[in-house]
Amino acid sequence: MNDSSPTGRAGRYTLIGIVAILAVVLIGLLWMGVLAPHPMDFAGGTRVALTEYHAQDPTGVPAELKSASLIEQGEYLARAADCAACHTADGGVPFAGGRAFVLPFGTLYSTNITPDKETGIGNYSDANFLEAVHKGIGRDHTRLYPAMPFASYTYMTTADAAAIKAYLFSLAPVHAPAPQNTLSFPFNQRSLMGVWALLFNPDKRFEPRTERDPQWNRGAYLVEAMAHCGECHTPRNLMQALNNREKFAGAVQAGWRAYNITSDPKSGIGAWSEAALAQYLATGHADGRGAATGPMGEAVDNSLQYMTQTDIAAMVTYVRSVSGIASSDLPEPKASPAPASHAEGVAANSDPRGKAVYAGACASCHDWTGVSPVIPSATLTGVRSVNDPTATNVVQVILSGSHRQAADTRATMPAFGSAYSDEEIASLANYVTARFGAQPSAVSAQNIAALRAQN
Amino acid sequence: MVSLQINGEVRTVDAPPDMPLLWVLRDILGLTGTKFGCGIAQCGACTVHVNGAPVRSCLLPIGSVGDRAVTTIEGIGASAVGARVQKAWLDLEVVQCGYCQSGQIMSATALLNSTAHPEDSDIDAAMAGNICRCGTYVRIRAAIKHAAQT
Repeated sequence: MNDSSPTGRAGRYTLIGIVAILAVVLIGLLWMGVLAPHPMDFAGGTRVALTEYHAQDPTGVPAELKSASLIEQGEYLARAADCAACHTADGGVPFAGGRAFVLPFGTLYSTNITPDKETGIGNYSDANFLEAVHKGIGRDHTRLYPAMPFASYTYMTTADAAAIKAYLFSLAPVHAPAPQNTLSFPFNQRSLMGVWALLFNPDKRFEPRTERDPQWNRGAYLVEAMAHCGECHTPRNLMQALNNREKFAGAVQAGWRAYNITSDPKSGIGAWSEAALAQYLATGHADGRGAATGPMGEAVDNSLQYMTQTDIAAMVTYVRSVSGIASSDLPEPKASPAPASHAEGVAANSDPRGKAVYAGACASCHDWTGVSPVIPSATLTGVRSVNDPTATNVVQVILSGSHRQAADTRATMPAFGSAYSDEEIASLANYVTARFGAQPSAVSAQNIAALRAQN
Repeated sequence: MVSLQINGEVRTVDAPPDMPLLWVLRDILGLTGTKFGCGIAQCGACTVHVNGAPVRSCLLPIGSVGDRAVTTIEGIGASAVGARVQKAWLDLEVVQCGYCQSGQIMSATALLNSTAHPEDSDIDAAMAGNICRCGTYVRIRAAIKHAAQT
């Protein structure tokens, strides 16, 4: 066959096309993977191995616990890493797994990490445990899905991972097989996660920055290797890996919006005082900034409320050092309360249904001003979620309420999801954002139905 | 020990600061006119005044009351507006079973204190959070207007 024949040319063009597509895919993967910044790269400076760092050790437990038993140290670190958040089902035994993650391509269940030999991690050696935490490889050599944040935990020291294992092995074993995942092809092919890990798991232990002070380095370790804040607050790329070019710029996770926590003054936390940030992390509430609900409320209840003051301060220092990225859809929160009179504040010709629901179900706690006469954490003034024109978290908290467990708070809000229709909740969310926020939302009943489906 | 100003008197109670005011009123001080309905600020039966504003006492921790004045249904008749509201309730025979009515009177008095001549929309906004399973809403609305005229 002659090369200049039409079929030969077509074949060559096809080949060139395939090569071009492969090249684009390769460049894309390089851009998202090898060439992408790691979580602490924004800080620049000189990285050194932990053994070469001679200031105060940024890893391990805080000073108060240095002489505690390995199990007690492991308990603190397991809380810092918030293992319970995912490895506990709603109302289930802590660490026995079974929590469902509803994804667009099926449902994934967390596993049992109690020391049960049959259904838990009772047969894991220290080496097995490290493989799971650092590399995302299970004891039977199966690949873990990156729902397990091993690309963050990979920064954890071996000693800290061993302490967490010692703590988990001190718990009563619970016989609890994980429910079968229902992922569709190709997401049910676990071996593909090996490729994912190769591209997106740096598989490196924490390296302090010599130019930064010990407090910053401690904060970096806690935020990145332990609390894994970026797993919710950093947007993901096409391959579902964290895109650290937009570190902490916010993302939607499990139907809730994890807000921008960069130092942008309008849409991030740049205008928060250090005291407010520390209060928010330690208690789940900051005056004038609102209360943590949903997944962030759980992070406070399961993890952050147990951190020492110095560790909270270190985390605040580190988070504040992340440079600002503006979220164009988030206005600066309105800092002043709404008018005391129901008749003022929202245009009289707006949807009356939202106001009627608010009067009956909400005003007793949130008042017409938004300043709660009952509990400070119910105050809506200055809160990011009511200053979010997508109203995502306002809708979520109306649907499922707030059931905080932290010791010193009584921040309970009933769930209204079964009391009101999608239309009523849409009207209510639009009324709330119009009354208390800087920019009203325009959500529809369809939006509410979509958010309900994620619960 | 927590000190509270209730109906013009200082009352000191041995209770943790996160205890809801309603529990202290009913179980410790014996002021049982204020009722427990839902416990989640959804029915209004437990409404009291804190510095004149209506507050659901079932969720209000006593530790956050401070030196603000608490008024309950037992003390509301001491104010001119409160007495007028109570009289209007009797004149119009508002009450059926009566369980929610302490809360209704407290919310109605707060409304008239801030808005002397309320329109229907003001009554809706102020009273929507006080529910009455006997359905006395029509008489409650009439009694508020009656009290506003007397």
